[in-house]
Amino acid sequence: MTRVLEASGMSVAFAGIRALDNVSVSVAAAERVGLIGPNGAGKTTLFNCLLGILRPDAGRVLLNSVDVGGWPAHRRARAGMGRTFQRVELFADTTVREHLLIAERIRNGTGAFWKDLIGRGRPTPDEVAACDEVLELLGIAELAAKPVESLSLGQSRLVEVGRALMTGPQVLLLDEPSSGLDRDETRALATTLRSVQDTRGYAVLLVEHDVSLVADFTERTYVLDSGVLIAEGSTADVLADPAVRRAYLGSFEVT
Amino acid sequence: MSAPILELREVEAGYGPFRALFGVSLAVGAGEAVALVGANGAGKTTLARVASGLLVPSAGSVHVDGAQIEAGVTAAWRFVRAGVMHAPEGRSVFASLTVEENLALSFQRAFGRAGLAGGLDRAYELFPRLGERRGQIAGTLSGGEQRMLSLARVLVESPRLLIADELSLGLAPMVVDQVFETLSQIRATGTALLIVEQQVGHALELCDRAAVLEHGLITWQGPSNEAGAVLESRLFESGAPH
Amino acid sequence: MILASGFFEDLFRGVLQGTPPGAVYALIALGFVLTYKTSGVFNLAFGAQAYISAAMYFKVHSVWGWPKWAALLVSVFVLAPLVGLVLERAIFRHLRTASAVSKLVVTIGLSVALPEIFNWAARFSAVAGRQITGIVPDGAGVYYDPFGIYRFNRDELAMMAVALAGTLLLAALFRFTMMGLSMRAVVESPRMTELSGVNANRVSAFAWALSSTFAGMAGVLIAPRFNSLSSGDYFTLVIIAVAAAATGLLISLPRALLGGLGLGWFIAVFNTFLPGLADDHTWLRPFQENLTPSLPFVVLFAILVLWRAVGRQREASDPLAGVDPPPPALAALERHPKLTMFTRLFGVFFVTVVGLVVWFRADVLWMSLVTKAVIIALIYLSVTVITGMGGQISLCQGTFAAIGGFTVFQMADRFNMSVLAAALIGAALAAVVGALLSLPVLRLGGVWLAIATLAFAFFFDAVMVKFSWVGGGSTALLTGTQVPRPLIGPIDFASDRAFLVLAVVALVVVSVVVIQLREGTIGRTLAALRGSEVAAASIGISAARARIVAFAVSAAIAGLGGALLAMHQQNVNYALNFAPIVALFWLVVVVALGSRTVEGAIQAGAAFALFEPLILQGELLGWIVRGEERLPEFFPLSGNWRLILFGLMAMQFARHPEGLVEHGKRRSATRINGWLEAREARA
Repeated sequence: MTRVLEASGMSVAFAGIRALDNVSVSVAAAERVGLIGPNGAGKTTLFNCLLGILRPDAGRVLLNSVDVGGWPAHRRARAGMGRTFQRVELFADTTVREHLLIAERIRNGTGAFWKDLIGRGRPTPDEVAACDEVLELLGIAELAAKPVESLSLGQSRLVEVGRALMTGPQVLLLDEPSSGLDRDETRALATTLRSVQDTRGYAVLLVEHDVSLVADFTERTYVLDSGVLIAEGSTADVLADPAVRRAYLGSFEVT
Repeated sequence: MSAPILELREVEAGYGPFRALFGVSLAVGAGEAVALVGANGAGKTTLARVASGLLVPSAGSVHVDGAQIEAGVTAAWRFVRAGVMHAPEGRSVFASLTVEENLALSFQRAFGRAGLAGGLDRAYELFPRLGERRGQIAGTLSGGEQRMLSLARVLVESPRLLIADELSLGLAPMVVDQVFETLSQIRATGTALLIVEQQVGHALELCDRAAVLEHGLITWQGPSNEAGAVLESRLFESGAPH
Repeated sequence: MILASGFFEDLFRGVLQGTPPGAVYALIALGFVLTYKTSGVFNLAFGAQAYISAAMYFKVHSVWGWPKWAALLVSVFVLAPLVGLVLERAIFRHLRTASAVSKLVVTIGLSVALPEIFNWAARFSAVAGRQITGIVPDGAGVYYDPFGIYRFNRDELAMMAVALAGTLLLAALFRFTMMGLSMRAVVESPRMTELSGVNANRVSAFAWALSSTFAGMAGVLIAPRFNSLSSGDYFTLVIIAVAAAATGLLISLPRALLGGLGLGWFIAVFNTFLPGLADDHTWLRPFQENLTPSLPFVVLFAILVLWRAVGRQREASDPLAGVDPPPPALAALERHPKLTMFTRLFGVFFVTVVGLVVWFRADVLWMSLVTKAVIIALIYLSVTVITGMGGQISLCQGTFAAIGGFTVFQMADRFNMSVLAAALIGAALAAVVGALLSLPVLRLGGVWLAIATLAFAFFFDAVMVKFSWVGGGSTALLTGTQVPRPLIGPIDFASDRAFLVLAVVALVVVSVVVIQLREGTIGRTLAALRGSEVAAASIGISAARARIVAFAVSAAIAGLGGALLAMHQQNVNYALNFAPIVALFWLVVVVALGSRTVEGAIQAGAAFALFEPLILQGELLGWIVRGEERLPEFFPLSGNWRLILFGLMAMQFARHPEGLVEHGKRRSATRINGWLEAREARA
């Protein structure tokens, strides 16, 4: 199986406190992988290291077998790493379609400065079509012309997913997509993500608190506790592991 | 019956041109525990903000102990001094202050200089993790730890009325259990509760009364053991079990 | 005291010499840090607050002849806290949740308006020639010479003592008192402070009274060092002191003290040794002459760029910011289509009428004023690019414009080049300077970026302008920096009417370019960055690249505008048009009126150039009442009113950070939209 994303031996310390200690994770092509762990376990830190927002003290990150360790976040994004945010990050004063259009323009790289000067910088019909196709896929085509300020949280999350899809990602990193959504909205989001994944074929790394979403959505799961990987394997096995339950699940019952 | 601790009458509120509440009335009496439930975006957080003085309603009135709070005065601190405390949603901590300073700001007013140390001890007992990090700048805590910090402040003070907005958001299940455990303890000491929650199970167990908020209106109020069935039929049209 | 060698003696003397000015910087830096720590405001108006107390002290003591203690009481312990309270109540309380950059713009406006308001209200004018006395008896007359190589007078000793005592007292306040903790909490989130049961309004009123008192104290202590009191000197001192405050990241009081002293020592030691070196190496001489006055700004720039922690410092955001209404979308997004059409028609009509009136009726003076308005509007479009589109404040747009102006002067003077070609070269040169400047300052965010660009503007002002290959040197002092009008084939733009046409054409071209950029890739990239930098990175946008382009384009537009202004006035007129403080003033106008849109820039240009003659000189009123002789007696009003009014405008901006033009448009749009929709509903 080819590995899209492979991180090995990641270690990070903040002010003497080990946030990550020799953690290794990998995601294969078209795979759905979960990453869970109690508060302060280092999930966000690992996520930021993978994305290039934070430099680890030690460890390597390979994207399609290329070492991207020294690359800044935007370069990793161009190389196939898409992401969404826990607290929705949209561009103010723009419409839903414009979010996707700028991502498409950056991906296809046709936005030379001189073209702007002679008025050739506006979106082309092809670009608009590509964006509308993704909006259709996500089921939010009717929102295309709306300013993002007018969207609900669930819709905003889908816009984030759409924006990430426009970059043509090979792996999509989702940061707690269920936070702020109720269970039905979460379920709907999971369903959409999976159906889109079937057509687009990217891999997913999901960081979540909502254990039922992880159980529902992922094939394989990693469990972090105090910066150390304490379990990995198929999601069902991991959630049944007594060590994991002790560290993380408490009284939660998997049904 | 004496006047309720907090009463909202026909409250309308929102943010700029955006309206979130359309004439909501709700009362919480002494020692009562009310769960406010509803879908995301129904206006629960806005209601919690109005109830704690953070947001001034554009119409209607807010009464604390029967006395109306003057319209047009944002004075959350008046609510606090009347014993109404609010744990806002999200990471509501002072990021540039240390863990201890965050707590001291609140405790020193509530317990005085002499009671400060005792208050801090109780907070660290409740969340040992915070004790380990008492000198750390709060902004460098993880999301869950920040959540603990903002909860520690209100849980220790056992106010007359505690308004808690999305307590469980971002907390590991084990910590959520522990937080609800603490809530039921302070409830036993006579603190009234207004719990705003999306994960309704815990909240309904703890409270005796529930109010369902839909699209900025309270559409149902009643005993919390009946609320589950109501929610099933009203809120979640897909009929998924909860 | 005997020192082993001349070198060490010189060094030690330099340090002693640098201590009094160092104490001045330290005092201002301490006050600056105090304000920032307790109010979250990067308060450039601190100098204005200091000036007011110093002027009041002078008035009460020297003019009215009151005893020193009474003058001190009135100016520092009554007037200063009062000013602080008024500022807090009237302005900064409403600004708590505004962005740091909009607060900065407000303080720039205040630093212009406050001294003018005081001078007018107290009928104060700085009296040159009359000795400014300090609070210490015989402060300038009694000397102490502890080491036998440098003499301190009593005023200097008092200053040093207050700086030291102030540091200790304030540090204790923050460390050990509830008020100190509350003040720091309010800065971060007034709402959360209230949720802790603390009255945030009372805390921030106290904070402002305290920091304003400190400003007053510093102002009075420093005053004897000046020959005459001027608010500009105080403003410049504040900019220098920012260097000291920055070493402590604006929050450490001891570091502000050490930073201030260190700055004083460094400059004094530098000045001790450079002349000797320059005697040996003649090539150093021009630098010695020019570098000395600019040294503080070089140090400031170096600290901002090289001190890595400064770039990493981010604004702490209020976790309860969601309680505030979201910033509304641009009016154009919400406008009813009919209203849009009507506004456009009206705009075309209005411009045509004004154009016709100017074309047929205007005399030479008015023609020239309108031309100036058009050119200023063009320069303002550079702010539309960097601030409106890029979301960043640059305080050196005047410098970019000056680069354009000087290039035209030099090219025409030395090579007899066509001025229009020279204007394009000037714009290109400004673009290069802008891009180069953006490289080191880009990683600084918001307020720091603004200060670094301001340091660059002061550096250019102090050093570059004096070089003969820039400002013309000594010949230009005698003959001025003459710039001819352009000549294209048979059309001679020496005619004011023809030149107006040229300026309008340039404005239209640049407006179209700006609109194209905004709609194109770069504009949408910048919009994404403005919305969320992390999200922009997540789709592959390189923030650095986009911002370098924005800086370069903005600098080019400013450079072109500066070149046109020089041609129009047939002289570069650096001090009147482009000097840092003048440029700050015109920046406030455009940011306050609206930097988001092209219309905003054009309206601001008109306001800047035409406000004084039209309104203050009474031209408009005279036209309305038909006859200048019927004007009320108080016309023409003093030009200082312009400063006061523009300062007030900056305060208004605080409440409407999208710009006043935009705010007005939105308000009327909402009303008319409602009316139109209601009518459609009926139909």
